[in-house]
Amino acid sequence: MKNKKLYYILIPVLLLCIWQIISYFKLVSPLFLASPYDVFVHLISSFEDGTIWTDIGHTLYRVVIGFGIAAIIGVPLGLLMGYSSRVYNALEFTVEFFRGIPTTALFPLFLLIFGIGDQAKFAVTAWGAGLVILINSMYGVHLGKELRVRVAKTMKVKGFELFSKVIFPEALPQIFSGFRVAISLSLIIVIVTEMFIGTDAGLGKRIIDAQLVYQTANMYAAILMTGILGFILNKLMLFVENKMVHWKGK
Amino acid sequence: MISVCSVTKQFEKPSGITRVIDDINLEINKGEFVTVFGPNGSGKTTLLNIIAGLDNPSSGEVLVDNKKPKEADVGFVFQNYNESLFPWRTVLDNVVFPMEISKTPREKAVKIAEHLLDKVGLLHSKDKFMYELSGGQRQLVSICRAIAYDPDILIMDEPFSALDYSTTRKMELELLDIWQEKKITTLFVSHDIDEAIFLADRVIVLSPRPAKIKKIFEVKLPRPRALDMLSSPEFTELRNAILNTFEYEK
Repeated sequence: MKNKKLYYILIPVLLLCIWQIISYFKLVSPLFLASPYDVFVHLISSFEDGTIWTDIGHTLYRVVIGFGIAAIIGVPLGLLMGYSSRVYNALEFTVEFFRGIPTTALFPLFLLIFGIGDQAKFAVTAWGAGLVILINSMYGVHLGKELRVRVAKTMKVKGFELFSKVIFPEALPQIFSGFRVAISLSLIIVIVTEMFIGTDAGLGKRIIDAQLVYQTANMYAAILMTGILGFILNKLMLFVENKMVHWKGK
Repeated sequence: MISVCSVTKQFEKPSGITRVIDDINLEINKGEFVTVFGPNGSGKTTLLNIIAGLDNPSSGEVLVDNKKPKEADVGFVFQNYNESLFPWRTVLDNVVFPMEISKTPREKAVKIAEHLLDKVGLLHSKDKFMYELSGGQRQLVSICRAIAYDPDILIMDEPFSALDYSTTRKMELELLDIWQEKKITTLFVSHDIDEAIFLADRVIVLSPRPAKIKKIFEVKLPRPRALDMLSSPEFTELRNAILNTFEYEK
């Protein structure tokens, strides 16, 4: 047990040491890389003066909305694509086409449609995360055990009941794999939209503002916070997954 | 009652026509327990699927209680219990499932399910999930599930072949115990000759592909069956007679 914990922190500590050494010996100009100590001081003081809370709040809000829209649209559509070869044929080309295009490259298009407000950010996030969720939900149906569907058919399960009581739970483990990728992706997209579409608050704005005026320590503090947020979101999703898909891998 | 009327099944491939089932005629009376004994790959499973309405014959007809198989209620127990039970449902809710589909009131369904689980000694495990049970227990759950909604017929496709010897014998006794109570018309496929004789009123011996009925044997052992019958002279005699229908090439 003690060993396990040691492994857990080994690499982070190592990275911190390398960072500290680089900044201590001034291998990189402090203008571009602040020392870990400075970064932590800035992070803590931004919590003390409370400014970072607003940014975290705004970023989280956008992640949740964007991810939520993605899940509400992506899961049913993906399940339908996995189940019906007609829907699959109708959508396959479009999905595979957009899958290869970085969401960030579509910013201008989304700005054109949704303007520069929060709506564009929700939409871009939902788009990026939605594709991941959709594809995983579809695979969930494909990878599900065909035998269980046959069992259900011998019991005369049909239509929506077949969908809700057999196909959906069968696909649930894969849907959650999609969710975990999508939640991290949502955070990434939100941060990037905050950096480049512009906003009044958010961790992305904090990063770009600090970057523009060379407040390097402040910038890394915001980046560090983003990393922590991503870590927490992922763990949270894993926790929900283990509750909801308790049978996975057993 | 099951009546199979000159059923033939063949698959057309570019390389030619493969006949899997060749003109099978069979009558199984109401409440009768019939086992089908034949080599692996002899088309037994295809025959079961046709009787269960999961597959259509190339020619001929099957009637289950004078209904088309697709309209009849069929309880199907598959060999692979892991992939046929619902891991997201508890033991009780797995057994309740078919009754949920047939819109039996929940209270009544639970009562029936609990009675069946009690019969096989799993009542105390009713709130457990499949991954918390042993292989034998899981297969008992799927037997309970298959007969819970009082199907017209019960079809079992080598249900015990993944279990060890002593578990198999125990399962056979449990199965006969619940069968005795409900007297469901049962068709049981086995590649274990002892099992085929021990359970059945009649043993149908199939020839290798394409499957044809080679011979039908009556089992005159009294019911309820007991394990010591496995070594009785009648049993041994029947066993030899069945084995003699196979020609062994040297």
